[in-house]
Amino acid sequence: MLFAVLVRKAYRVNLQYRSSHLIHNLASSLFGFMYIFIWMGIGRTHELEGYGVKGMVAYVGFTQAALWVTTFATFGLGIPERVRTGQIALDLMRPVSLFYQTAVREWGQVAYQFLYKTIPIYLIYFFVFSLPLPSRPWTYAGTLAALAIGAFLIICIQYLVGIVSLWTTESLWFHWLNYALSMLLSGFFVPVEWLPPWLRAVSLHSFYPYLQYHPVKIYLEQESATVLGGGLLWCALLAGASAGATVLARRRVEVQGG
Amino acid sequence: MRLTRIFLLLIRASVKSRMQYRFNFWMSTLLASLVNMSEFLMVAVVLLRFGGVAGWSLYEVGYLYSVISLSRVVYRSLANDVHNLDRYLVSGDLDQLLLRPLPLLVALMSQNFRILLGETLQSGGILAYCLYKLTASGQIGWPAVPLTLWIVLNGAVILFAIGLATATIGFWMTKVEVLQTLTEDASRSAAQYPLTLYPGWLRGIFFFVIPVAFANYVPALYVLRHEYGLWLLAASAGVACLGLAAALAFWRAGAARYQSTGS
Repeated sequence: MLFAVLVRKAYRVNLQYRSSHLIHNLASSLFGFMYIFIWMGIGRTHELEGYGVKGMVAYVGFTQAALWVTTFATFGLGIPERVRTGQIALDLMRPVSLFYQTAVREWGQVAYQFLYKTIPIYLIYFFVFSLPLPSRPWTYAGTLAALAIGAFLIICIQYLVGIVSLWTTESLWFHWLNYALSMLLSGFFVPVEWLPPWLRAVSLHSFYPYLQYHPVKIYLEQESATVLGGGLLWCALLAGASAGATVLARRRVEVQGG
Repeated sequence: MRLTRIFLLLIRASVKSRMQYRFNFWMSTLLASLVNMSEFLMVAVVLLRFGGVAGWSLYEVGYLYSVISLSRVVYRSLANDVHNLDRYLVSGDLDQLLLRPLPLLVALMSQNFRILLGETLQSGGILAYCLYKLTASGQIGWPAVPLTLWIVLNGAVILFAIGLATATIGFWMTKVEVLQTLTEDASRSAAQYPLTLYPGWLRGIFFFVIPVAFANYVPALYVLRHEYGLWLLAASAGVACLGLAAALAFWRAGAARYQSTGS
């Protein structure tokens, strides 16, 4: 019940700004155009093994849209700001775990971003580049599941980034570090199999491919949804880490000012 | 002269205040290098895989990347809060700066001076390595080194002019984050690759609307590939001067119509 209410509220807060966000979408889609042109340019003289130019355009189109669900989560789920204002003391007093409240609020945001960012941005690429659609109905279900797993993972990661702010004022840097690593290791822009062997090994032993690479491969029907088993394992691990961090955070809280 | 002295004094105060938090400084330096490194690896991975793009070798593209990164370091060190002008506009904090007996732009530029050590070392390292490799192969000679320093500074002026013009739009629109994504982030990312990769209309934008082409690509055509002639550097300097003059005039017009939030 609480889950549904919080998700709905977070969704509604965002809804207030939807026209501004729709303009923002045009701007953010231009970034994707740039990446697409880079691959088209490279594809003129090189064979883009396993994808071809059309395949890479479809790949980038999808990942650029999926970013809004599986990568661009709120910095620290808003926790650093709450630590700064002292609001965190009240949050920790509530009869619901901090992880649960902040995560659920973020799900509302994810739902909003999926409808008002991911889908419109994908539609832009879809029409401009005449992208192909998956032929098997199961692919859509698999893709949605992959995106949901990605969203869950990024929520856990941002929670961990956020909760660090209870002990240090530098949590923003962890946010940037995560962002940089995800750009490199998640298969955004460069498919994981094209990374040099050592980087590929690092990527495949991390959760990052579940944010972008596996969802897009499933959508392009180059992978079956069974790979998501690994993603579920990462979900369990990171949820455990988040719960553990919450226990630590509740032990002793120092709030500045007020 | 007096203005320069005040500017340096304010910067020293800004550095001093930052160094009160030594741990934070070193931590942010370390993490900034990691973030930058990963950004470069994204470009490098593509080059390693395809052995260069659009006829440009790995070291040539590394040069393009590191030159524009260093230009950005110079711009963002000296004028960090020009990029963050919209924060002052939203909070009304610009009022305080207007009260100072200094030109508004100088007052704004001396706020929050940043020592971008991580970015400098990382981009500087890549530049030095690329220059070394290109010199060793005989493609370029030692004059490329002073010319490159000049290109970095010239590029910083161009990036500053672009940043200042974008921030000035904030006097009309208040929030310019989306615009900055386009004029500063997207265009700089695009300029990390040879511009011949892009379709003509987009290339036109990078030459004539948001002139990042003159920050690295155009000068590199002469310095690395000996194409056209020395006049390419003069043209780049001309674009920097024109861009700066236009941005400053625009800034004056924008600042004249500033209205406080009134809170």
